Amino acid sequence: MSGQRLEVDWPSCQARGLCHELLPEIVALDRWGYPLVHGDVTPELVGAAKAAMKACPRNALRLRA
Amino acid sequence: MLLDIARGPWLLGSAQPDLVTHRSRFGPVVVPGFGVLVAAADRNVVLGRGGAGFPFATKLRTAASGRALRRHVVVNVSEGEPASSKDAALMVTAPHLVLDGAVMVADALGVRTVHLVVPDEHAFVTEAVTRALAERAEAGEDRRLRWRLHRASTGFVSGESSAVLELIEGRENLPVVSWHPAAVKGLHGQPTLLSNAESFAQLAAVVLAEGRIPGTEAEPGTRLLSITRGNRIAVQEVPHGTRWQAVLTDEELDRPVLIGGYHGQWAPAGALREAAVSVASMQDLGLVLGAGVVIPLPVGACGLTYTAQVTRYLAGESAGRCGPCFNGLPALATAFGDLAAGRVGADVQELADLVRGRGACAHPDGTVRLVSSAWTVFEAEIALHRVGRCSAGESNFSRSA
Repeated sequence: MSGQRLEVDWPSCQARGLCHELLPEIVALDRWGYPLVHGDVTPELVGAAKAAMKACPRNALRLRA
Repeated sequence: MLLDIARGPWLLGSAQPDLVTHRSRFGPVVVPGFGVLVAAADRNVVLGRGGAGFPFATKLRTAASGRALRRHVVVNVSEGEPASSKDAALMVTAPHLVLDGAVMVADALGVRTVHLVVPDEHAFVTEAVTRALAERAEAGEDRRLRWRLHRASTGFVSGESSAVLELIEGRENLPVVSWHPAAVKGLHGQPTLLSNAESFAQLAAVVLAEGRIPGTEAEPGTRLLSITRGNRIAVQEVPHGTRWQAVLTDEELDRPVLIGGYHGQWAPAGALREAAVSVASMQDLGLVLGAGVVIPLPVGACGLTYTAQVTRYLAGESAGRCGPCFNGLPALATAFGDLAAGRVGADVQELADLVRGRGACAHPDGTVRLVSSAWTVFEAEIALHRVGRCSAGESNFSRSA
């Protein structure tokens, strides 16, 4: 079953990279340090995804059904 | 750019832009009400003319649904794309048709204020709108309605819908992430019917035309095209289904033609000969009419070099707010410039993948669309440039560096 999606508020994101630190399973960083989200947030990753959302200093992540 | 406006069969059919001429042609403005208006938009396949081609009836239904304290109507005349002048042409030729459409939509949604977003860089458009509004006020029309004028800044992305909403709300005229379509949550988080000026004119025309609608059965109505020829833009209104052979010259048809503007795609040389100006016919070729921008490759120009120059321009038009666009478009422009100069540079495809889908507005995706289409259509030219040659001549080649 497909999970939720992690979406980036691009104008807010300033490539701080905490999302990758906290959710390396589905967040990589591009050559400029901006998140590359690959794949859905599976049920087991929801906790880590929420932590990444809370930790983002720019409040630039959203979880969408 | 100099603007040539040809008299058209329908929207651009009035000899004068004034209210008396307009009313003598189309009669008094009719407000058919929500149900009839949606049905008319549905039956006549009125699609958004800002580029995305979204069905107007769906937008109307969405903007009317749900509970909301207030709803809003925004007519977008800002036209940020430099190769597009059809909304400017519409406002100086038939402003009252656009305003009639806005009146119908405002009535259907129970809205008392209509926002008009005009391009600050083209004073003649603002003047035409102001004059039209003064005429209506003098004639005692739209008594229950307030018109509010907003001036969009110069720039490719300032006409984008979220940028337009930002402008009206008093913030910088730049795109932001919209988690919901404007029809769901637009101005002040309330349902907002935002559409391009030409869409409102088409809607008004199908309501007021009483069955005399040009075009085809599947695609009623006309299309405003902005055709770039040298340093001029020719705006021409053509009924859907018109053959491209009747629109472009033989010389233009024999060259590649950029369809859909700087965010568009190249039609290979000769590809438009058997095609027509219609959504379906363009779809067969994998193309999209978008906002109707048509740029035949200039005589003696190289498509690859031309694309490199446009890509460089588009990179400069990034609002600079989204990292992948701000960093990626200049890198992509450099990579494509290298390609056009016959140099082996960065991987164009890889950069395109890094940019696509990673921004608040359609600017990065549109730029990638142009680059990817050039990559395919000018494949042979790329190979030629690699060995230091150019089918358009050496002068083109050296300019691309």
